[in-house]
Amino acid sequence: MATATANSLSTKKKSKGQIVVDWITTTDHKKIGYLYLITSFIYFLIGGVMALMIRGQLFEPGMQMIQNKEQYNQLFTMHGTIMLLMFATPLFAAFANILMPVQIGAPDVAFPRLNAIAYWFYFFGSLVAVSSYFTPQGAASFGWFAYVPLSSSTFSPGIGGDLWVFGLALGGFGTIMGGVNFVTTILTMRAPGMTMFRLPVFTWNTLVTSILIIMCFPPLAAALFALGADRRFGAHIFDPANGGPMLWQHLFWFFGHPEVYILALPFFGIISEIFPVFSRKPIFGYKTLVYATIAIAALSMTVWAHHMYVTGSVLLPFFAFTTMLIAVPTGVKVFNWLGTLWKGSISFETPMLWALGFLTTFIFGGLTGVILASPTLDFNLSDGYFVVAHFHYVIFGTVVFAMFAGIFFWYPKMTGKMLNERLGKIQFWLLFIGFHATFLVQHWIGIAGMPRRYATYLEGDNVTWMNQLSTYGSIVLAISFLPFLWNVWITHRKGQRTNLDDPWGYGRSLEWATASPFPRHNFTSIPRVRSESPAFDLHHPEFAAPEAQAAAKKG
Amino acid sequence: MLSKRGAKWAAAALATSLPFLLTACSAADQTAWNRGLLPGEVDAQGNGVTNHTATIVKLWTDSWAVLWGVGIIAWAIMVYALIAYRRRKGDNTPPPQLRYNNPIETLFTVVPMILVVGFFAFTAKSMTSIETPITNPDVKIQAIGKQWSWDFNYVKENTFEPGIQGNSETITDESNLPTLWLPSNSKIEIALSSRDVDHSFWVIDFLYKKDMLPGKTNHMYFETTTQTGTFRGKCAELCGEYHSMMLFNVKIVSPAEYQTHIESLKASGNVGQLDDSYNRNQNLPGDNVSNEG
Amino acid sequence: MKFNANMLWFLTAFYFVDAVGYAVWFALGETNDKAAESWFGFPFEPIGTAAILMLSIMSAFIGFYVQKTAKNQGQVPEDRLDANIEDGDTEIGFFAPWSWWPFFLGMFAALAFASLAVGWWMMFIAFPLALVALIGFVFEHSRGRFAH
Repeated sequence: MATATANSLSTKKKSKGQIVVDWITTTDHKKIGYLYLITSFIYFLIGGVMALMIRGQLFEPGMQMIQNKEQYNQLFTMHGTIMLLMFATPLFAAFANILMPVQIGAPDVAFPRLNAIAYWFYFFGSLVAVSSYFTPQGAASFGWFAYVPLSSSTFSPGIGGDLWVFGLALGGFGTIMGGVNFVTTILTMRAPGMTMFRLPVFTWNTLVTSILIIMCFPPLAAALFALGADRRFGAHIFDPANGGPMLWQHLFWFFGHPEVYILALPFFGIISEIFPVFSRKPIFGYKTLVYATIAIAALSMTVWAHHMYVTGSVLLPFFAFTTMLIAVPTGVKVFNWLGTLWKGSISFETPMLWALGFLTTFIFGGLTGVILASPTLDFNLSDGYFVVAHFHYVIFGTVVFAMFAGIFFWYPKMTGKMLNERLGKIQFWLLFIGFHATFLVQHWIGIAGMPRRYATYLEGDNVTWMNQLSTYGSIVLAISFLPFLWNVWITHRKGQRTNLDDPWGYGRSLEWATASPFPRHNFTSIPRVRSESPAFDLHHPEFAAPEAQAAAKKG
Repeated sequence: MLSKRGAKWAAAALATSLPFLLTACSAADQTAWNRGLLPGEVDAQGNGVTNHTATIVKLWTDSWAVLWGVGIIAWAIMVYALIAYRRRKGDNTPPPQLRYNNPIETLFTVVPMILVVGFFAFTAKSMTSIETPITNPDVKIQAIGKQWSWDFNYVKENTFEPGIQGNSETITDESNLPTLWLPSNSKIEIALSSRDVDHSFWVIDFLYKKDMLPGKTNHMYFETTTQTGTFRGKCAELCGEYHSMMLFNVKIVSPAEYQTHIESLKASGNVGQLDDSYNRNQNLPGDNVSNEG
Repeated sequence: MKFNANMLWFLTAFYFVDAVGYAVWFALGETNDKAAESWFGFPFEPIGTAAILMLSIMSAFIGFYVQKTAKNQGQVPEDRLDANIEDGDTEIGFFAPWSWWPFFLGMFAALAFASLAVGWWMMFIAFPLALVALIGFVFEHSRGRFAH
C-alpha cells in the first residue's frame, strides 16, 4: 500500500473496477463531457452505418440490399433520430461541459450532480429508444418527425414506437437539465473581470443555445407524452377529428426548428474559437457576432412552419419572412469569420483545415436554405432530396466538421497529447471529398423529382447514376473514419505528452492558460482578465488588448 | 449506351464540385439550362405544363443567380485571404489585432437585409398567385390519398376512378398506375384529402405539391396549357411501408379526348363518387371525420 | 448579470410583438379553413399564437428572476471591467466530489419511462426504485455526514 503523501495524491495505480466506479460516479464536468463525447461518437458511428445501409439500398432500383420496405423505414427513422438526438445534441453537451467552465474561469458547473444526471438520462434514455430495435416488430418506422396519424398505434402498432417515444422523452429531460446548468454557470460563476462581453464566443454560443434548449425541448416532451398517451393510454389528443395531424406538426416543428439551431450554434462557437487562433488575430466584430447569435436564437423560435409550407394550413408570408430574415444574422457571422481571416497570419494545422472545410460547406448549405425559405420554390422541393442535401450540408457541414476541428484543437487540453497531424490531414481530405461526392449530387436528385424516404426508385426516374455516385461518395466518407480511429489509437499508445499550457502557440481563451491536460478543478491560478483573449494577453503581452496592456503597466 | 455512361462518369468527376454544370442527356439541353435544370418542358408555343410553372422557374433561376453571386463573393474572399495572408516561413509575429470595423460590419448587415426584403417581395407575389383560388374552375377533381394508392373523383362529371396499390412488379409499367385525366387549356381545381395517414400529391412537372391530411381538405388551383402528355406523380409524405410504391400519372389531353375518357369511365359503371364512406377506421371515436371543408 | 436580464426582457418584448403580429397577420388573411374560423369568427391559429405567447411569458419569468437576483447581488467582481482575480470570493461553494445517485436515478428513471411502453407490471418495480433514487439524490447532502 502506498504511503499517503502530504497533498494526498496517491501514486497507487487504480484497478479497472476503481476506474469504472470513478467514471460512473463522476461529477467532474470534464469527465462528464468526455462521457458525452465518447457516447455520442459511438452513436455517430452507429447512425453512420445505418446511412451506409441506406445508401447501399439506393444504389440501384429494386430491393436488393434491404429485405423489405418496413426495415428501410426503420433505418431512416433511427438514422435521423440517432444522428440528431443521440449524436449531435449530446455532442453540444460534451463540448460545453468540457470547455465552458474553464473558459469562464470556474472550477466546475453550478450543479455538478445535476450535470451527471443529465448525462445518465441521455445514456439510458437513448438505450430505451434504441432498444426498440430488439423487439419483434422492430424499431420505430414512422420517420424521425413521427407525423400522426402514421405514428399512432392504429398505423404503427408495436412496442418499438412506444419505446422510441418514451426513450426520447427521458433524453429530452436530460438535455433540458444540461441547458439549465449551463445558463446558471455562465451567469453566476464567471471569474472576476470576465464580463459578459469578454466571454469567449464559444461560451456565448453555449449560453444562447442553452436558452434555446429551455425554450424548445419542453414542447417536445409535451408532444411526446401526448403521443405516448395516444399510443398507450387511449387518449385522443392527436385524432384527425381534433386537427391532430396539424397539431402534431406545429408542436414538433416548434421544437424541431430551434433544435437545428441548437445543433448549429455551439459548433459555430467552436469555429469562432479556432479561426482566431490560427489567424493569430481576435475574432472580427465580436459585438456584432454576439448580437447576431442572439438574433438567430430569437428568430429561430418563430420560423418553424417553414417545414410545413405544403400543408396548406400555415401563414406562408409570415414564416417566409422570418425564415429569410434569419439569413441576415447568419450571413453576418460568415462575414465575421471571413473578417477574422482577413489580414491575419494564417497557418493550416488540422483544426484550421476542419474549420475551413466547415466554412466552405456551410456557405453552400446556407444558399440552398435561402431557396427553401421561399414557399414558391419550396412547394416543388419539399420532402425531396433537395431538402436532404440541404440539411446534410448545414448539419453535417457544421456539426461534423466543427466536431473534428474541436477534437483536434482541444485534444491536448483533454488528454495532454496532440493528435497526429498527418493522419488528421488524410482524414480531412477523405472526408471532405467523400462528403461532397455523397451530398452535392443529391441536390440534383431532388430537382429531378425523387422524394425522400423512398426505399427504392424506378429506372425510368433517371436518378440511378446520381444515386450510384452518391453511394460511392458515402463509401469514401466511411473510409475517412479509419485514419481517425487509428489516430486516436496510436496517440493513446505512443503519443508524445506536451507539457505546454498552449501547444498551438496563439490560444486566446482561458483554457490555454492552464495545464494540459486540465487540472482537477481547472486552474491552479487564473490570469487577469482584461479582454476576450486573456490567455493571449498573458502569453503575448506586446500584442495584448489595450485594456490588458494598460493593466499590466499599472502593475 | 456504354459511351453515354462513360461520359456521365467523366462529368461526375466534376460533379463533386459543380453539379449545375452537368448537362442533362436529353434533346432539351439548352432549355434545361434556361430552366435552371428544373423538370417540365416548355412546348413550341412557349407554354409550360401549367400556368404557374413559368413563374416558379423564373423565381428559381433569378434567385440562384443572386445566391451564386453571394456565394462566389464569400468563397472568393475566403480563398484570397487564405493565399494572400498565409503565414510565411519563419514569421512568428502576430498581425495587427483588429477587433472591429463599424462601416464594414454595417455594410454586411444592411446589404443582406436589402436582398432578403427583395426576395421576400418576389416570393410573396408569386406565392399569392399560385395559391389564389380559382372561383369557377372548368374541372373539379377530388383526389383522395390512401395507403397506398389514389382515388380520383371527377366531381362535376359525377364519375370516379379508384386506384389499386402497385407492387414492385406492376409499377414499372406506367399503364398500371392510377391516372388522373385532365383537359388542356382549362381551369382546374383539385381537392385533396386522405383516407388514413398523411400523404402528399406531387406532380413533378407541375413543380408543385400539396399535402393530404386526414380530417382536412386542401385545394390546389392551376390552369392547364396547350401542353399535353403524361406526367409522373409521386406521394411525397411518408405514409408507411409502401410509400415508395404510391405512384400515379396525370394525363393532360385535348378536351375532346377528356370527354371520351369520362364517358368510358361512366360506361364501365363508375357513376357517383368515392366518398368518405371508404375511409378507414370509421368505428373509432374521433377518427370518423368528414373530409369536407 | 444585468445584461442577461435585459436580454431576456428583449426576448419578452420580441416574442410578444411576434405573437400579436402573427395573430393579426393570420386574421387578416384568407383561409378556407372552417376550423380556423371556429375560434373567434375570424381566422385564428391557436397553436402558433399560444406557443409564441408562452415564449414571451417564459422569457418574462426568467428575466424577472434574473433581474431581481442581479439587483440583490449588486455589483460583483465578474461584472467589473477592472476586477482582479483576487477580488473574487475565495469560497465559491460546495461541489460534490462524486455521487452514485445520478447513475441510479438515470437507470431507474429509464426503467420507469420504458415501463410506460412495456407495461404496468414493470412500473410496479421501476417506480419505487426511481422514487428512492430521486429522494436519495435530493437529500444526499442533507443526511448522514451532512445532516444539519
